[in-house]
Amino acid sequence: MEASFDYSQAGYAIREDIPAAYRAIWRKIGEPGSWWSGAQRSALVREARNARSCAACRKRKAALSPEADCGLHNGSTDLPDLAVDAVHRITTDPSRLSRGWLESLAAAGLSDGHYVELLSVVVSAISIDAFHRALGLPLEPPPEPVPGPPDGYRPSGAADSGAWVHTVQPGNAGAAEADLYPGGRTANVISAMSLVPDSVRMQLRLARAQYLPLQSVMTPGDNCGRAISRVQMELLAGRVSSLSQCFY
Amino acid sequence: MLRASGQTTGEDIDLQGIVEGDAVETGIPGSKALLTFAEAALGDDLQEIAAARNAVIEALSEAAMVDAAAVIAHFQRMVRIADGTGIQLDPQMAALTTDIREQLGIDSYASAARGGLL
Repeated sequence: MEASFDYSQAGYAIREDIPAAYRAIWRKIGEPGSWWSGAQRSALVREARNARSCAACRKRKAALSPEADCGLHNGSTDLPDLAVDAVHRITTDPSRLSRGWLESLAAAGLSDGHYVELLSVVVSAISIDAFHRALGLPLEPPPEPVPGPPDGYRPSGAADSGAWVHTVQPGNAGAAEADLYPGGRTANVISAMSLVPDSVRMQLRLARAQYLPLQSVMTPGDNCGRAISRVQMELLAGRVSSLSQCFY
Repeated sequence: MLRASGQTTGEDIDLQGIVEGDAVETGIPGSKALLTFAEAALGDDLQEIAAARNAVIEALSEAAMVDAAAVIAHFQRMVRIADGTGIQLDPQMAALTTDIREQLGIDSYASAARGGLL
């Protein structure tokens, strides 16, 4: 069943490009990715939602060290424990993720491709759910899985760019990834998940609806006709980043 | 981007509102309501979120509230992408924001160490 994102009863007028983007992202999440099946990707959405009421996550968030033993997560999916833990950490304690932790995932068998795709699905779901929560709207049911195996695609231009995961930079983007960086320009936060190129495409689509198209992002003062000014948008951006203890 | 955007409109902005929240009069129209909305939306208190939502509608407009909700949602994603991949601050941005990061204490965030800032 196609996700509805029907806001006709929301009580607020919501730009049509927002539900259109959400429907596209939800449909994409339900499809097989490069490293996870559609059913697993849908399970990642459910697990991100579980994390918000997870007692172990609350305990860990309050602990001095993110490595403190805080018991079992309230997982309700058949995802590997390692993936459940990663989803919960990304959802509830992202500012204390570390290179060492990510290396431990790889050592335990979760590949960098699996991790980047997991991150992409989880942050997309968190973001869409956050919009609903802010507007007091019920959450959309998880994406309907599409059968089929992941394709295992890994871009040939992926290389170490200083991040914890390999990325494809504009100079290394081949024909298959040429669409990721219009004009050959990017920022690290955009190329961050390019090890799984569809992750970047999903983020750009969401950004266009929730924030701004890339060309407007690069132009200070441009608010693309939104109901709040660019200064107001950037005030919100800065405050969310600060509350999240994110330097970027 | 906040400072750069403010410069395009000639607005005199107190950036301290980014780290101190709605207690600061930033000079931006509706900033108190917007900052309160951002803080509430990151939490779990539905009544607080509803009150903050109504305050933005009252201070600005319903359309502004919806667009603000979208921006807040967007940056809840972006911070996790940055935190989850260990990216570094882009060199040009790092150079342009040295003074602001020091002024606002952003360099003291734990994530700044892995972001190549320290």
